[in-house]
Amino acid sequence: MSDTSIKGDIRAALSNENLRGALGRFADDYLESRQAAYRNKDFNDLRDKIAEIKSRAAGRMEELAERFAAEAARRGAKVFRAETAGQARDYILNLARERGVKTIVKSKSMASEEIHLNRYLAEAGMEVVETDLGEWIIQLCGQRPSHMVLPAIHMTRGQVAGIFSRETGEELPPEISRLVKVARENLRQKFLKAELGISGANIAVAETGTLVMVTNEGNGRLTTTLPPLHVAVVGLEKLVERFIDAVPILEALPRSATSQQLTSYVTMLTGPAPAVDASGSPVQKEMHIVLLNNGRTEMQSDPVFKEALQCIRCASCLNVCPVFQLVGGHVFGYVYTGSIGSVLTAFFNGLENAAEIQSLCLGCQRCKDFCPAKINLPRLINDLRTRIAQQSGLSLPQRLFLKKVLTNRSLFHGLLRAAAVGQKPFVKEGTVRHLPFFLAGQASVRNLPALAEEPLRNWFNRYAAREAEEKAGKGAAREADKRDSKQENNQETRKESKPQSKVESTTENKAGDAAEGAAYRAKTEKEAGRKTGSKARPRAGLFAGCLTDFIYPEIGISMVKVLESTGFEVVFPRGQTCCGYPARQLGAPEVMAEVARQNLAVFEDAGADYILTPCPTCTHALKNIYPELSAGDPALQARAAAMAGKVCDFAELVYRQIKDGTAPGLRLKALNKKVTYHDSCHLKRSLGITLEPRELLKTAGAKLVEMPYADRCCGFGGSYFLKYPELSAQILDQKLDCIRKTGAGLVAVECPGCLMQLRKGLKERGEKAVEARFLAEILADQL
Amino acid sequence: MAVPDLEVAKPGWEAGALYDTFKTNAGIVSARVDRAADNTEAALKIKEIILQTGAKKVVAAPSPLVDSLLPDDLWAAGTGPALHRKDLRRHAPDAGVGISAFDLAIVETGTLVQDATNLDCRLVSTLPPVHVALVPTDRIVPTLQDALELYGRDPDGLPPYLAFISGPSRTADIERVLTIGVHGPSELYIIFIDRPGGETV
Ligand code: SF4
Repeated sequence: MSDTSIKGDIRAALSNENLRGALGRFADDYLESRQAAYRNKDFNDLRDKIAEIKSRAAGRMEELAERFAAEAARRGAKVFRAETAGQARDYILNLARERGVKTIVKSKSMASEEIHLNRYLAEAGMEVVETDLGEWIIQLCGQRPSHMVLPAIHMTRGQVAGIFSRETGEELPPEISRLVKVARENLRQKFLKAELGISGANIAVAETGTLVMVTNEGNGRLTTTLPPLHVAVVGLEKLVERFIDAVPILEALPRSATSQQLTSYVTMLTGPAPAVDASGSPVQKEMHIVLLNNGRTEMQSDPVFKEALQCIRCASCLNVCPVFQLVGGHVFGYVYTGSIGSVLTAFFNGLENAAEIQSLCLGCQRCKDFCPAKINLPRLINDLRTRIAQQSGLSLPQRLFLKKVLTNRSLFHGLLRAAAVGQKPFVKEGTVRHLPFFLAGQASVRNLPALAEEPLRNWFNRYAAREAEEKAGKGAAREADKRDSKQENNQETRKESKPQSKVESTTENKAGDAAEGAAYRAKTEKEAGRKTGSKARPRAGLFAGCLTDFIYPEIGISMVKVLESTGFEVVFPRGQTCCGYPARQLGAPEVMAEVARQNLAVFEDAGADYILTPCPTCTHALKNIYPELSAGDPALQARAAAMAGKVCDFAELVYRQIKDGTAPGLRLKALNKKVTYHDSCHLKRSLGITLEPRELLKTAGAKLVEMPYADRCCGFGGSYFLKYPELSAQILDQKLDCIRKTGAGLVAVECPGCLMQLRKGLKERGEKAVEARFLAEILADQL
Repeated sequence: MAVPDLEVAKPGWEAGALYDTFKTNAGIVSARVDRAADNTEAALKIKEIILQTGAKKVVAAPSPLVDSLLPDDLWAAGTGPALHRKDLRRHAPDAGVGISAFDLAIVETGTLVQDATNLDCRLVSTLPPVHVALVPTDRIVPTLQDALELYGRDPDGLPPYLAFISGPSRTADIERVLTIGVHGPSELYIIFIDRPGGETV
């Protein structure tokens, strides 16, 4: 699919009111009803079991396939191993021809959709009837299902009435119960005369050769009962080893898919059961099982993507996806949609066909929380992204920037400084685009912040100098620090002499800063007096990240103030550079590995006890990705792991210190304000931080009001809001609505990306009564 | 209809409590649950249901329990609907009520389990709009896991067609509005029988 066609599809989907209304309502209802369905089950325990069962089975796919085939054959079924979609289709067509089949009833099967079986059989002159209500609707109007579990979710009863009226030649009212009855009556005739029933299966048990089908309407039972010939199309990923392995899957699938404890029908077929022909005379029932490979063994031999074989096709990952909620399944262009769809499409339809649809992923990671098979979908999509980028290559400017600029810190920062100065007459244009994660962006987006006049690193120079002065007075200066910062200072001044001089000419700002600095110094001196005296304070190394360093230095400054007041010494190792995450996103993990090495060395020299960053993505990178990237180099990995052990979130550290009593409690003036908190996706899902920021807000006297869906993405997604501005804006809109519902005048965040996005949205809405601020800023203000 | 030699009761399972919870859970999925002391009472309840539906034709899947409950002279000749036990492929499509016996009931999910290898069991429980299911009260197990463990004990003895039924057939495919009764029955009556005389359990 080309870039323009997917964007056209997105626009069409966004302007389809039915679709958006239905999907939006469903998304909200789903969360509630699903939770109710799990009220008497431990979801985490279940998903552990499923992941274990399915990964074990996937690891022995071939062995289990053989065993299944032998067991099913022993019980009278015929098993055909189809390597490709074509082989599966041919087998079924030949069989149907040999038996003189004219009418075929089908119950819902993703595997048969995957191989486009209907079209093939219809072209051979057979009547193929989908009997699942949603599938039948879709079939009658010649569309594709828009959802794995609810194929016609995008249609209204009025539309269905129109379609059924055409089919039956009778004018039907848009009454759902009536429409369902019409389907029953019409399809009943097909069931009674069909010579062949085609179904899928949800589980295939190797130990017993059993197929398990999970259905609600009863069409699955009719499909496998009335026609004397039954063909089941079953993907190899459906295999499990033992009969009892079906239990956790049967417990989770209905709960996750349709919020039911169990579906109306679960059918277990172990070999053919007796049948009669249409006249009622007993016939030998034939059961054929087509075990479908079609790319699955390739997936199994892939160290990363084999995890996708654990999928039980519950569609939770679609239901909770903020993008899917807006655009539905058609935009994805293939049979499998949503997060898992991107991965499956890559294997069933080729990597190149997954390129566009994987780019729809915001990276919010919400699907990971809900997957009952415990698939790390964000990781799979990330890997897919890397592979696609490596296959299609980076664009020239991207390559140039990543390989030449990003790996050379002084060049990178020099360019940023030049840009900061150059932007002056054009601040409206938003020169934040010079930051690495904007590289993938194309569209023009307004209301972006400008680069700060003084980056955090320069502020810190002055701050460190003051600290050193103080210490020198007390004879306790750390020589190394002084040397470091002096060297850095010289370098910076040399390289950035032009921008610096310009910045200095903005005296107004400088005066303000100086005044603030003086007040602050006085305060910290007082604080220091009440603190531990001469005992060494724990040292927190600040890793700013590009957004804080160059756009929102005030976030870093606030962090320093709060940390100081809770007894930390704060250092800013000046050699630090971009965490490299955007490079990996663009498909250049080697660039991230290079900056990782640089950052590692810089922070080792700083001798920090803790490493803090205001940006959850940077935290995630330093803590989780750096050790991964250095796999294969044990020495480097040990160093990365040592660093990772020191990395923590700001709120996490401050809250812990206060709670442990290891640091003096924050002395804060009471805020006395309604505040709501937005969970950043990376902070919650990569780092598991949800409690601490809320507790700190309460400590500051905030009246915390929870917004609905506090952990739903704000739509920022790094470069996403430039690549898909319409989608990003819609997701942002939903977020702002949720914020407004709280009546809070202040929304606290702990991610500079979210901050940028929320401020942009508030500004565009002209929302004056609500302000978005960083947690550290809010705390620092109350000191 | 060979039910594997199931040892259903486990220590600590009390039929009365299991029944009550089953009734609640099956009710949640729109099944109607009742309990009869013996076959005579059960037969009365079945008759009531049939009369209520106004069915002209009733189909029953033969089994010792069903046969003992529904004698051929259930109704004096000409006073009730026709009852068919044979040639069900022909009779089930236009029957108003289908009757069959079940092997197990699962409390947790309000589910019935049936070895439906016999085609008649499937015809009477899929085609007519009303299905009456009969279960001996001592055949209730707490969880799905319990039920599958019972069948899994003897993998070679697994019936070719093992059916789990929880409530009537349903769909939410149009605008996600729950609608009861699609291809299968729209009404499911479950009658537990405390002392099922004719059945050797
Ligand atoms: S990936 Fe997980 S959440 Fe998505 S359909 Fe598969 S099992 Fe469900």
